[in-house]
Amino acid sequence: MTTNDNSVSSINIEKGYEEDEDNYVLDEEVEDNTNKYTNNNNIYININGKNNSNDANNILCKNTVVPPLNFCPVERYLYRSGQPSPVNFPFLDTLNLKTIIWLSNEDPQDALLDFCELSRIELQFAAISPEGGEDDNPWDGLTEHSIINALETIVQKKNYPLLVCCGMGRHRTGTVIGCLRRIMKWNLASCSEEYRRFTGSRGGRILVELLIEAFNTDLVEINENEAPDWLLNAINGGKDKA
Amino acid sequence: MYIPPLNFAPIINSSNDLIYRSGFPMPLNYPFISETLHLKTIIYIGEKTETDLPIEYKNFIKREKIQFYYIPMETTMDPNAQQNMENMLKLILDKRNYPILMHSNKGKHRIGVAAGIIRKILQGWCISGIYQEYSIFTGNLKGEVDLEFITGFMPTNVKVDKRYLPEFVKL
Repeated sequence: MTTNDNSVSSINIEKGYEEDEDNYVLDEEVEDNTNKYTNNNNIYININGKNNSNDANNILCKNTVVPPLNFCPVERYLYRSGQPSPVNFPFLDTLNLKTIIWLSNEDPQDALLDFCELSRIELQFAAISPEGGEDDNPWDGLTEHSIINALETIVQKKNYPLLVCCGMGRHRTGTVIGCLRRIMKWNLASCSEEYRRFTGSRGGRILVELLIEAFNTDLVEINENEAPDWLLNAINGGKDKA
Repeated sequence: MYIPPLNFAPIINSSNDLIYRSGFPMPLNYPFISETLHLKTIIYIGEKTETDLPIEYKNFIKREKIQFYYIPMETTMDPNAQQNMENMLKLILDKRNYPILMHSNKGKHRIGVAAGIIRKILQGWCISGIYQEYSIFTGNLKGEVDLEFITGFMPTNVKVDKRYLPEFVKL
């Protein structure tokens, strides 16, 4: 293989403002890579090329996995979704979850309970309110107590990797994540924008946005030694950087 | 108070190698980016050329010592869309570029395609899961051309150095 005709040096990415020397050490780096590519560390992702599918070095992902409804990453090792069903379990396996926060006053499907037991995932019922009883409707908003309950789990890194979910992954999950964003000092419009993304064609509920706006972030106690880094970083305004 | 860019979210958060997505960062988003993301690389996928980029954005990138890559692409109907997405994959498959922010103008369609390709090629997501994620960010606007592009996309020749594979990519 020659060094000048391969794909790396011909990588067709235009870099901005090459006159900025301190930013653009990239030219040299690309050259470097080109040389490195002549050794045996090469792998290819391709289907019709020289490497066929029984090549162990092919990184094309061969197992198909199915993410749960409304699944989305939130922060490092923190995820949100709707209720996972058995078709999603192989996907959940890839996340190596330690905890799932279930935000509904109804029990999840038995299959999910079994899966959590089998995979040693702690399933936390943050929204079951004993005082609510029969009057606790699925379409009611979360109580402040439930929100705090869920957030207290989220602010402790020992519970990660962590999935927050409810029936559809829209309103209840959106409430908790919205309140988390407030703790992270996001401005209210950004919290609402994120919440509405997941609410589907019928749009967001004013009640949820009111809950997020009115939430008193001081009610969640954060222990500096036990909180995830990204949370501390947001709270301390990037002063942890150094 | 932090103001993240429009349509901001992580794409990859299941290891120490992080990829974020968003719309075009505005000056009011700079404190959020510099104080909370600690980026090494920004990849812009869009039609704005180097000269179109706002001067304050160029200064911000320079000040923060962020590597900036520009992938010129208007839509997935561009003749070089395949090559552009392969170039994107090459950047993503090098651990030394992390943490990465990928952005377009609104953080919807072009980034939706890039994210969809990562989901499909590197993580093996099913197509319906990819469609759903795409529509979360486009507000249920169907981008049939984009979705067809993701469905049909197969890298033809992306070569990477396996010593620098990011953690989330499993051999």
